[in-house]
This record gives sequence, structure tokens and C-alpha cells, in this order.
Amino acid sequence: MKAIIAATIIGVVLMFTGILVKEKKGIATLAAILFFLLLGVNIWELSTLDANQPQAFFNNMLRIDRYSVWFNTLMTACTVLYVMLSGREIQKVGIHVSDYFALMSFMLVGLYMLSGYSNMLVLFLGIEIISIPQYILAGSDKKNLKSSEASLKYFLMGAFTTGILLMGITLLYGASGTFDIARFTFLQADSLNPMALCGIIFLIIAFAFKVSAAPMHMWTPDVYDGSPTPFTAFMSTVVKAAAFIAFIKLFHISFNSLSGHWTMIIAVITAATLLVGNVTAVFQQSVKRMMAYSSIAQAGFMLFAVLSISATSWQGLIIYAVSYTVATMGVFAVLMKLKDFTYDGFNGLAKREPLLAFVMTIFLLSLAGIPLTGGFMAKYFMLTAAVEQGQVLWLVIFALLMAAISVYYYFRVIIAMYFKQGSPEMSSPVTAGDRLVLVATAALVILLGVAPGLLLKFI
Amino acid sequence: MVIQEALFWFLTVMAIVCALGVILSRNPISSVLFLIATFFAISGHYILLNAQFLGIVNIIVYAGAIMVLFLFVIMLMNLNADTEPQKNRLIQFAGVISGGILFLVVLAAMRTVGGTAVDHTTTDIGLIKNLGKVLFTQYVLPFEISSVLFLSAMIGAIVIGKKE
Repeated sequence: MKAIIAATIIGVVLMFTGILVKEKKGIATLAAILFFLLLGVNIWELSTLDANQPQAFFNNMLRIDRYSVWFNTLMTACTVLYVMLSGREIQKVGIHVSDYFALMSFMLVGLYMLSGYSNMLVLFLGIEIISIPQYILAGSDKKNLKSSEASLKYFLMGAFTTGILLMGITLLYGASGTFDIARFTFLQADSLNPMALCGIIFLIIAFAFKVSAAPMHMWTPDVYDGSPTPFTAFMSTVVKAAAFIAFIKLFHISFNSLSGHWTMIIAVITAATLLVGNVTAVFQQSVKRMMAYSSIAQAGFMLFAVLSISATSWQGLIIYAVSYTVATMGVFAVLMKLKDFTYDGFNGLAKREPLLAFVMTIFLLSLAGIPLTGGFMAKYFMLTAAVEQGQVLWLVIFALLMAAISVYYYFRVIIAMYFKQGSPEMSSPVTAGDRLVLVATAALVILLGVAPGLLLKFI
Repeated sequence: MVIQEALFWFLTVMAIVCALGVILSRNPISSVLFLIATFFAISGHYILLNAQFLGIVNIIVYAGAIMVLFLFVIMLMNLNADTEPQKNRLIQFAGVISGGILFLVVLAAMRTVGGTAVDHTTTDIGLIKNLGKVLFTQYVLPFEISSVLFLSAMIGAIVIGKKE
């Protein structure tokens, strides 16, 4: 609750700095400081929270436990990292720099709501609060036609999915007469309630769209490719994690006892997501578009957390969200330094910028799930959770196969950087500060791979 | 009770027929007019449920303000048959099949629900006084937080609409 209030205030403050501060660099610095303060507020909230006693606010609208606050803290830390990695690129997108940062702050409000909601109304508002700023940020590069296309496409499809989400919530309300996710009465009833089951199907469709799972993934490549690159980095990481925590919360807390009815649906969606994401990524020529498909593929792995109901899957979600977020932000930070986003644009990067090529290699290895990186531990936790659950062993084998395919397209970038000749053009010079943050990010990826327990300590 | 029931059936048939008219009519202007009629029918349902406030807000906001904007936009865009994009038969076919399957699943599930779930007792929750009281006590958090949503939408209007 403290974090929600703080993030709202920070958003409003950032809006007004657009009037007072004319210098773009000043705004970016102020935004970094304010997000850092927000991280402090999150830590304060974490320290004041009783470990065993979830705290309820406003007639059970929000129910905050240690897991959700710790998730908020980690995602806010990722946002701070993101602002440090791509602050300079955000300044180049357009003239409304303060508004972009304000929108990010509002998206964090949405994230805090989604990690702590206990009422379907708050879920709906949270989903909308993370979605509407995304439509705006996707279209913020107004001179670029592809950016406008991305914004419009995302807006239309997102609005349509919101309708499906609302229909699902309505059916659940019709079945139970309450919006409280912990008190759905059809869960205790002996006979099945068809209205509730229909509602669950609608909710699966809506959530699958928000986390870009197949077959509702069609918007992802166009939107992620068309949006300005720094915003793609934010949309495909922190926001996606927010959608996932809402997904897992609803399905584990509310629909746990009905899991026999929806496990198979989610398993098929997971398999389709893994297949479409990984196989299509192989055929891409642009690294940015490949990252869009890679984010679909990674969503497939995160769906394992929803699929297998256990403590391991909750832990796995937090590890996956953080390691995927950090590595993806790193890849995009390197990508933004280059002018040409195709694979050929990376040719010979190792000769020109050895450090950049080295950290990029670490990020890509993590995304591919090579041991000693965060990505390996994340995939390990997800698949362990699925094996423990025991119903979907075929899916685990399939996921391992798909992970092997993903190695191909991630390594294509590494091969281009190290073994091909060429002189990559840089869009902006790499400063000492950039190097420092990139090395710190790479170190973080390794640290997550060696000691993933750090992420579970505060739950 | 008989009048209420007759009104209910009249409004329901009107809402469904007009909603079908929205998607089936070829002229966008008549689509919009059908949509306005649908909103009026739904507002009638709200009033039947003793929710006068919702009914009136629905007419003022949707049928009044938003749909008039819609009409303006459509008239300014000057749509005619020539500008209509060619639709792919295969995609149309796939859409009909998948939509039909979803419809079938929902229909098959809902068939067993029956009419017992509907509460016939009239409540006063839809009156402005009670609605306001609930909104500012039990639902105060969503009510207040929706301001963040509107604020970001307003930022969007400025970011996208302002000339650079």
C-alpha cells in the first residue's frame, strides 16, 4: 500500500518536472533518483510486514503478503536498473521525456496492484493500468510509421481482450455473487458450476493475450518490433512479469480445486507457445524481432509456474521473472547501442567493442539457459515444479527440446559477434558509465546463476 | 409484474436484434444508430432493475456523448464501398469456425445453468444515494486508484496528440 501511494506521487511529480525542468538529462537523472526512492519505500514496506500475517487493506481489496512485497521490491529494482541502462535512449525517443517516466511509474502502480489484489475489480484496474501506458509508449515515436502501427494494433487488440476479461469476471460474479478471489462460493459447492467454468476459460484467453502466449501472441512481434527499443525492453520484461503474477495468483488461490478442468488447457497453450516462439524465432533476420519471439518462448516457460501448483512454482516464478528481466534488459541495452538491428549488424562487434560483445554473450547464454547463469536456474525451477506435479511429463520433455532449439538463434548473435568480419556502426558512443552498468548487470546474471537462493531469502 | 415482464422481453428482443444489426448492416452510419438503440435497450434493463442512476448515466455518456463522437468520426472519414478493404475468405472462414466453437462450448455449458440464479427481489442498491455510499466505503480503493488510470490516459492524449 505504501508503495502504491509512493509510486502514484512519483508519477505525478515526474509529470510536473516536464514543466519545470527543460533539460532532458536532468529529468532522466531525477527519474532514476525517484525510482531509487521507490525501491527504498518497497524495502521499508517489506521490513514492516509480519512474515506470517498477510495484511488486508480496504475491505480485502488488497491482501499483501511477503511474497508480493518481495516481488514488488525485485521488480522495482529491475526498473531502477532499466532506467540506468537505457535512460539515455529514452531521452532520444521524443520530447515528452518526463511523461514517459511518469507512465512507467504508473505502470509500477499497476504491478503493485496485480501482485497484491484480492478482488476482481482491483485485478481489472491493475491490468488496465499496466496496459494503457503501454499503448502510449508503443506509439511515442510519432515520426516512425511502424511505431504508430504498433500502438494502434496493440490498442485495438488489447481493448478487445479487456472485453473478454470483463466477460470472464462477470461470469464468475454471476456464479458466486462476490468479487473476492478467496471467497468464490462455487469452489466449495459439490456440483460444478458451468458459469464459473466458462468464466475461467474467458480469463485464460485474456491472460494468455496479456502474457503473449500462443495462439493469442499475434500482436507481440509487430508491437515489440515497432515500439521504440527502450520501451520494448520495459514492456517485454517488468510488465510481462506483472501479468504473470496476476495469472498465477488467480489460478492458484481461486481455481486450485478446479485444476482438473484447466490444467490441460494451459498445458496445450504452453506447448503451442513454446513451439511457435522458438521455431519462428529461428527464421528471423532482425535481432529485435528475434527477441520478440524469444519473449514469447520465455513466456512459454513461465506458464509452467501456472501449470504446476506448488511452492516450487511460486519460487520459480520469482526466479524466472528476475533472471529473464535482467538478461533481456541487458540484451536490449547492447542492441540500442547499435545502428543496424539485423544479425549482420553484429558482425565483428567483438573486435570493435570487446566488452559489449562479452556482456552480450553472457545475457544470451542466460536466455538460452546455460548453467552458471540465472536463466539456467530459472528453467530448472520451472521444470522441477512441473515434474513434482507429475501430470505433464511430456510437456517437460518437449520444453527441453525447445530450449535446445533456442540455443540456435541465441548463438547466431554470438557467432556473428565473434567469428564474422565486419565493422558494426554504433548509434551512440559507449561511455564509461555504460560499461560499468553493463558489467554490473552481467555480474548480476552470473550471481543469480550461482546463488539463486538469494531471491528466495525474503519470501 | 406482468407489465415488468412484458417490458423485459421487449427490451431483451430489442437489445439482441439491434446488436445483430450493428454487426450485420453494411452501412457504418446505420451500425452506429443500431448501437445507440442497443444502449437505450440496456438502459431500460437497468431501470427495470431499479438502477436509475446507471440507466441515466448509460444514456448520457454512451448513447449521448460517445456515440455522437462516433457518428462525427464516421462522417468525417467518408467511408464508402470503394475504400473497404478486401477480406480474405480463408480468414473469414477460420473466424467463423473458431467463434462458432467457442459459442458452442459456452452454450453447451450454460444450457444446464437454468434460471434459478436470478434474484427477483428488488433492491435499492442502484439508487444514487446507496451507490455513492458503497462507492465511497467498500469500493473506495478501486474508485480512487482509477484516477491513476485516467491520468495515464490523459498523458497519452498529450503525448500522442501534441505537435512536436
